[in-house]
Amino acid sequence: MISAVQLTKRFGTQLAVDGLSFEIPGGQIVGFLGPNGAGKSTTLKMLTGMIAPTSGSATIAGFDLLTQTLEVKKNVGFVPDSGAVFESLTGLEYLEMVAALYGIPQNAARLRIKQFIQFFDLSFETLTDKLLGAYSKGMRRKVVITSALLHNPPVVFFDEPLDGLDANAAVGFKALIQTLAREGKTIVYSSHVLDVVERVCHRVIIIDKGKLLLDGKPEELVATHQSGTLEKLFTQITGGAELEQRAEDFAKTFRA
Amino acid sequence: MNAPPLLPEPVPPLEKTLRRLFLTLFLRGRTSRGLRKNRAPQSLGKKLGLTLVFYALFGCVALAFKSQPIFALAVYLHAMTFGLLGMFVAASAGEILFNKEEADILMHRPVGPRQLLWAKIRVLVEVSLWLAGALNLVALVMGAFSAHGDWRFPLVHALSTVLEALFCTGSIVLLYQLCLRWFGRERLDGLMTTAQVLMTIGLVLSGQILPRIVFRLSGVLDASAAAWWMGLLPPAWFAGLDDALAGIGAGRSWLLAGLAIGITALVLWLAFGRLAHSYETGLQLMNEMVSPRVKVSGRRRWLSVLVELPPLSWWLRDPVSRSSFLLTAAYMMRDRDVKLRLYPGIAPMLVFPFIFLLQGHSRGDGGFGLAMSGAYAGLIPLLALNLLQYSQQWQASDVFRVAPMMGPGAICHGARRAVLLFLTLPLLLVFAAVGLALRHDPSQLMWLLPGLVVLPVYAMIPSRLSGAVPLSVPTEEAKSAGRGLWMMLAMFSSMGLAGLAVWAHYEGLFWQFMVGEVIVAVVAYFWMRQSLAKVCWRAID
Repeated sequence: MISAVQLTKRFGTQLAVDGLSFEIPGGQIVGFLGPNGAGKSTTLKMLTGMIAPTSGSATIAGFDLLTQTLEVKKNVGFVPDSGAVFESLTGLEYLEMVAALYGIPQNAARLRIKQFIQFFDLSFETLTDKLLGAYSKGMRRKVVITSALLHNPPVVFFDEPLDGLDANAAVGFKALIQTLAREGKTIVYSSHVLDVVERVCHRVIIIDKGKLLLDGKPEELVATHQSGTLEKLFTQITGGAELEQRAEDFAKTFRA
Repeated sequence: MNAPPLLPEPVPPLEKTLRRLFLTLFLRGRTSRGLRKNRAPQSLGKKLGLTLVFYALFGCVALAFKSQPIFALAVYLHAMTFGLLGMFVAASAGEILFNKEEADILMHRPVGPRQLLWAKIRVLVEVSLWLAGALNLVALVMGAFSAHGDWRFPLVHALSTVLEALFCTGSIVLLYQLCLRWFGRERLDGLMTTAQVLMTIGLVLSGQILPRIVFRLSGVLDASAAAWWMGLLPPAWFAGLDDALAGIGAGRSWLLAGLAIGITALVLWLAFGRLAHSYETGLQLMNEMVSPRVKVSGRRRWLSVLVELPPLSWWLRDPVSRSSFLLTAAYMMRDRDVKLRLYPGIAPMLVFPFIFLLQGHSRGDGGFGLAMSGAYAGLIPLLALNLLQYSQQWQASDVFRVAPMMGPGAICHGARRAVLLFLTLPLLLVFAAVGLALRHDPSQLMWLLPGLVVLPVYAMIPSRLSGAVPLSVPTEEAKSAGRGLWMMLAMFSSMGLAGLAVWAHYEGLFWQFMVGEVIVAVVAYFWMRQSLAKVCWRAID
């Protein structure tokens, strides 16, 4: 479903993504991990057609990212970490607008929206009568997730999707992506909540400074590196091993 | 979750969806602050209706030109329309065409940059036409029954107004695209701001100069009597079109009409045809913005050092005021959103003093022109501080509220001082230099005093009376009409003071008047300062 070959992005002199190559088949949930500034968001933006790669190539759902960008966009859903929405629209106006962009007729869109709001435990009145600016962070996130899935895409990219969701919604969301994967969809899940990634993802890709560091099943990687947990493995390979010492030094500053 | 099968019903065209989206965002704003969030929003039709009524009432001023020749009437109408549309498009185009927040919502959807560009331009043009139509509504009817007009005027003027609206929109879109094409992304932000400020000043000048020429010629102006250089002012081209087709049809009118049609066609071709590809590239490049490398330029270091040294360190003794001073200065110099609002917003305030200076010089009006210049200059900090309270990063201002401070007093003082030092002082020096160059007599600068003496008091107004804390209000609230009320009152009072000063001079009481004004200003300043120190944070929703 996703095939990236030597994907590279350069901003001026800064190399944000450095020759990333990987393949993700349908039905797999892949944790896409890396420390801040590793190049995760840039990679996701390239794979969703938001920005053009400097070099390299990729195919998404069988379409070439460079020459068939619109087809790629029709076949992907994306939940950005910003959770940005047009705040001055009501939830329904927003979702209907998104549905229209994918060519979904209004009646069909309404039906799908109703299914999603049932799933996320939102009321239809909230959706029709309140502007998105009045929604809590969690409600807004639910609308953004709905907008990413409304057109039933075969490939979905989630960037910190649980941010703001309450415990029940988070549990429901994890169940949802597992169901979607069982139906053959490709899920790319970028998050810093590593225990969730460890439980939900079939495979993890860890990048740092734009380069691929590790790619494999979480349990195999943990076993190979004898780290015990994915979190420990992550800090071990991304240079965060001395974090506890740094925290101690930080606290000392105040004591002084 | 299985998606239900799609029903065979018509799909709304993408163009229609995008147009509706951008029109809604344009009329409601992009954030929901200032809107009734918990209720379904007001219909777009109602909003447009209210705009129509408001601008139509404003357009009633055209009735004063009922007995004028068609060219004079048309010059007035097109100058007003040009100024209004120019400022409107210049202020809105940047946010509409290149909105970074939009990228996360729309750029991964199956929408091409060209479709986005066309939907945005269409909304810009439609709203421009609506405003132009509302402003000219009364004149369209009146023109048919005016002393020199007939049934042709409404038709021809409607056509020339449409052309003018297209020219205004096309020029500003073209300006953005040229900046993008010639200078690239790295320098785009700063250049677009500079270009936009210059264009706004040009538009205001063009819109202000022409009606004044009409008045200077005792209200009688026809195309054949017009000076050659009027051909350099775009409103005159469109007035020429009106005169050629619905007026006396002088040879010069036809020439101006030719310019109107030819240049508008050229601008539209360049902006929407030839350079549309630059927009596609620009949109993607905007989206590629990584955290910008803040140039720790000499200016910044210079500023940080300067606040540590006298006299600034004496002026900014309070550390909160000092931080606020540095923050405000940084936003005034670096933040694109703030710059795009601040400098075009104060542009008219910069233009009017020069117009008064030049007009006063040519008329030999004693000190009236200089006094009015001083009055306008005194309003600059008021307007600037009013505009500086808006920011796209308004939520970050929570840091002020979280800090252990009872109220915003110290923060407002820092912001006010930054505006006085970096904006007001340089402009006052320029006004004084121009005044001196025109009058050749330093004693004439005394006419600036009535406006300058009240400047510190006016600078207090945004903080004390309308609760303006820097960078704390969403940009959408800048559209609220009520917020301009203090500005209008201050403007009238400032001009009143200038008028009184001139009167006092003719009565031989100028210096007595100045002593009185100084006493009142000092008392008002310290009263406002003290009461600002006692102001607590306002509740937020």
